[in-house]
Amino acid sequence: MNRAAWVFFAALACAGMAMAAEQQPREQGIESSDYVWNEMYADKLQALQAKGDPLRGEIAFEICQGCHRKSALGRADGSYPRLAGQHATVLIKQMTDVRAGRRDNPRMFPFASQHAISPQDIADIAAYLQGLPVPDDNGKGPGTDLAQGGKLYNRDCSSCHGDKGEGNGAKFYPRVSGQHFKYLEREAQEIRNGNRRNADPRMMRVIKNYSDADLQAVTDYMSRLPVSTK
Amino acid sequence: MKLLSWKTATAVLALSLGAGLPSAWADAQQLATTVCVACHGEGGHSVVPTFPNLAGQQQDYLAKQLKDFIDGKRKNEVMAPTIAELKSGDVPGLAAYYAGQKPAPGKVEDAKLAEAGKKLYEDGNTTSGVPACVGCHQPNGVGNTRYPRLAGQHQAYTIQQIGDFKSGTRANDKGRVMRAVAERITEDEMKAVAEYLAGL
Repeated sequence: MNRAAWVFFAALACAGMAMAAEQQPREQGIESSDYVWNEMYADKLQALQAKGDPLRGEIAFEICQGCHRKSALGRADGSYPRLAGQHATVLIKQMTDVRAGRRDNPRMFPFASQHAISPQDIADIAAYLQGLPVPDDNGKGPGTDLAQGGKLYNRDCSSCHGDKGEGNGAKFYPRVSGQHFKYLEREAQEIRNGNRRNADPRMMRVIKNYSDADLQAVTDYMSRLPVSTK
Repeated sequence: MKLLSWKTATAVLALSLGAGLPSAWADAQQLATTVCVACHGEGGHSVVPTFPNLAGQQQDYLAKQLKDFIDGKRKNEVMAPTIAELKSGDVPGLAAYYAGQKPAPGKVEDAKLAEAGKKLYEDGNTTSGVPACVGCHQPNGVGNTRYPRLAGQHQAYTIQQIGDFKSGTRANDKGRVMRAVAERITEDEMKAVAEYLAGL
């Protein structure tokens, strides 16, 4: 490449960087052969080891609630998940995975980036969210195949996500009860299809042969699990 | 017995801590009423729509903006000659002065547009990923100690600022967050939300 062309492309690249917002990075995920689920890296460890303060978290959550709504109830249309009552460990994993580029979410990235929130903020937000009440007004599925949904749930899901969908904070398994059906269904599809790159490969294997109808039935069932028991 | 409102007490406390001397308050009033008034109007009610209303603006926000102007982190040609004369010691007094002025709603010229703006303000746009403004700027656009008041602001000023965040001309937002938001806001949405905010 001649000098003039090099200068031109360099200038173009600089202009591009000045204009566009910071892009989400892309780390290796489930598509790579040496993928390790829930790998511990510095940012995640720092947030997990920090003592979360729910009062500070309520303030830090302000930049999240434009999408996740007040009291972190999310939206029934599934565009934004409910975060209230989720395990702090799960929340920390997801927030740090997004900013590390291990879970693709360019929409959320600017609000979870290192410029916007620190590892301490992440711990505080997670502590705040974990303690929030979970009302049973979450979005539900069509309710057309709950028998099949229940059968699949109890066979394949409950050993990790719990009989009542309560999840397991110590193991980073998310709570699924009280979550919006549309969100559960979309994420289940993303995980089955290998598009949620920070997913647990064991779950991917379990639902590998699920049809769309199976996924709808089982997530519909999840959305109706009782929310009173965490 | 409630002698002072909480807000007044805080302003007085901030003044006594921040500026130290009662003369700083007098200096701030003097500056506001002789210098700033030319553009920002009597008591922070500006008459030119591209100059912001400052009355009732959040004190912390005012102080940060003045400091950013002084430090060159926020730039404005019209403000530049005045900022060059401003001392950092003037900042706390000026911020307290304008925060203490009574805000007033502006004029909505297009009620239908304002209605669309209210929807964006309270619900965001789930298709394009614009968060609801209310998340940070609070119900009715009053702001808080971390986010500025938007209520009652001139349409032209609000549109100009969102545009400046969008283009990156204004880059003194905390955590780059407002730039990320503005990047997703369309010209029509800017006009609508500005129309809504003007009437608050």
